[in-house]
Order: sequence, then structure tokens, then C-alpha cells
Amino acid sequence: MRAVVIGAHRHRDDIRDDAIAIPLADLFLSGVEIAEQQPVSDRQLLVRVSRIRAQLLERATFIAIRYGFVIANESDAMAKCGAQVERWRRLLDEHRDEVELTLKVAAAAPLPRPNRTDFGSGADYLRALHAATQGAAIDESFRAAVDAQLVPLANQHRWIHRDNASMELALLVARERVADVNVAGAKLKSFDVPFLFSGPWPLEVFIDDHE
Amino acid sequence: MADNDEELSLLEALDHLLDRGVVISGEAVISIGDVDLLYLGLNIVLANVDAIIRTANKR
Repeated sequence: MRAVVIGAHRHRDDIRDDAIAIPLADLFLSGVEIAEQQPVSDRQLLVRVSRIRAQLLERATFIAIRYGFVIANESDAMAKCGAQVERWRRLLDEHRDEVELTLKVAAAAPLPRPNRTDFGSGADYLRALHAATQGAAIDESFRAAVDAQLVPLANQHRWIHRDNASMELALLVARERVADVNVAGAKLKSFDVPFLFSGPWPLEVFIDDHE
Repeated sequence: MADNDEELSLLEALDHLLDRGVVISGEAVISIGDVDLLYLGLNIVLANVDAIIRTANKR
């Protein structure tokens, strides 16, 4: 067996549909079985994993594992993730009734993305890329409205610089409040600012709080 | 419009799959088999490098 891992779950029943469940101590990893020689960068596999991950979102919360992590079997899973089990169990129990929502907002004046050919070294290029990302800023009145209308509905929130053309707000929200947050999000359409409000997502951003 | 929504939804899902969540050390895989594989592999690596810089700045 060889599987691309999608997430870490507290209960076996949280993994259904086309995903497989791999025991990890008293937790379970969800995954997609792949052929021995299939590269994880295969585009069709990427889309397939993405669709199966979307099915899992409807069931329950889980800790998202970034794409590219492959295990061979149960003992391989334990060897690679065993050190995380205690922490993951605590986070899954703590956030069982919460999901993440994401608000991606276009920058008011996007900074140009650095061109690799303008830099002599890869390190300089990465620094410039990072500076362009950190320099992106969104419309101040829009941000004030978001901070006033959306943030109070969340248990935790975090503004994140993701790229040179946008900023992102990650919200950790109680499942029972998702509808309220969606209503508040819809009101932001009155602004002339492009944004994308999406979710619910699994635990993706707020899992590093205890590191 | 429905097709556009579906594409947007898929793109957003792919964005989250590639650039969010726990990174298990040393498990980012780069496959150099043909152009497509190399392209996707580089995307994964860039996402991780940026995440590493973000994490380093937070500490």
C-alpha cells in the first residue's frame, strides 16, 4: 500500500466516502491510495485528492496535512507521525466543534511580483518575494469593516500576508456560528473591493498555536 | 456562471491543499519526470519556503 495523507482525525467514523483510514495510535489518518510508482505531482491525482478532501470537510473537523506527505503502511505512519499524536489528539478534542473560514482580499495597490531573472542568487530572490508579500495592504475602510463585523464572531482570527496581491483573514469559528459569519460576510459586498470568502475548512492555520 | 463557480471552488480547494496545514518534515516530494511534474513540484517547494519564512518571522 502507498497513500497520500489528507488529514489527522480523532474518530474512524469521520473518514468516509473515497478516503481510506490508516490507524495512528488512537487517531486515524485519512488518505488516498496510490499506485507504487505514481508520482504525487501527477495533476489528476492532485485534483482527485482535492475532491476527496472536500468530501471530508462535510463530515468533521480534522488537522490538515499539507499535500505531498506519503506513507507506506501503518508502521510507517507511526514512525513519521508518532511524535505528533499527543498534540494532535489535544487539538482535535479542543477544536472538535470549530471550523476555519477564509477571507481573501485583493490588495489596494498590488506590489509587482519579483522576477527571478533580476536576482543573482536564489536567497536574494526569496527575500524580495517575501518583502513583496509582506508589503501588500488592503483598503483600510474594508479592513475596519471586517474587523468590526466578522472578527467578533470568531473564537480566534489571524490576518496573514499570503502573496504580493492579497491579504487573508483566517477565522476559527464555532460550527453553530458559521451561518452568522456567512451573513456578515455577504454584507461586505457593499464595498468596491474584490474578495473571496470561503470555507468551512479543516484546522489549517490555527494548529500551530501551541508550538 | 455555474462552471465559473465550480472552477473557482476547485482552485480554492487546490490552494488550501498545497499551501495550508501541517508540513511533515522532509516529506515534500519533487518528481522530475517530465515538465508537468517538475512544475508542480516547484510550486510545492515555493509554498513551503514561504511558510517557513512566515513561521520564522512569527517566532
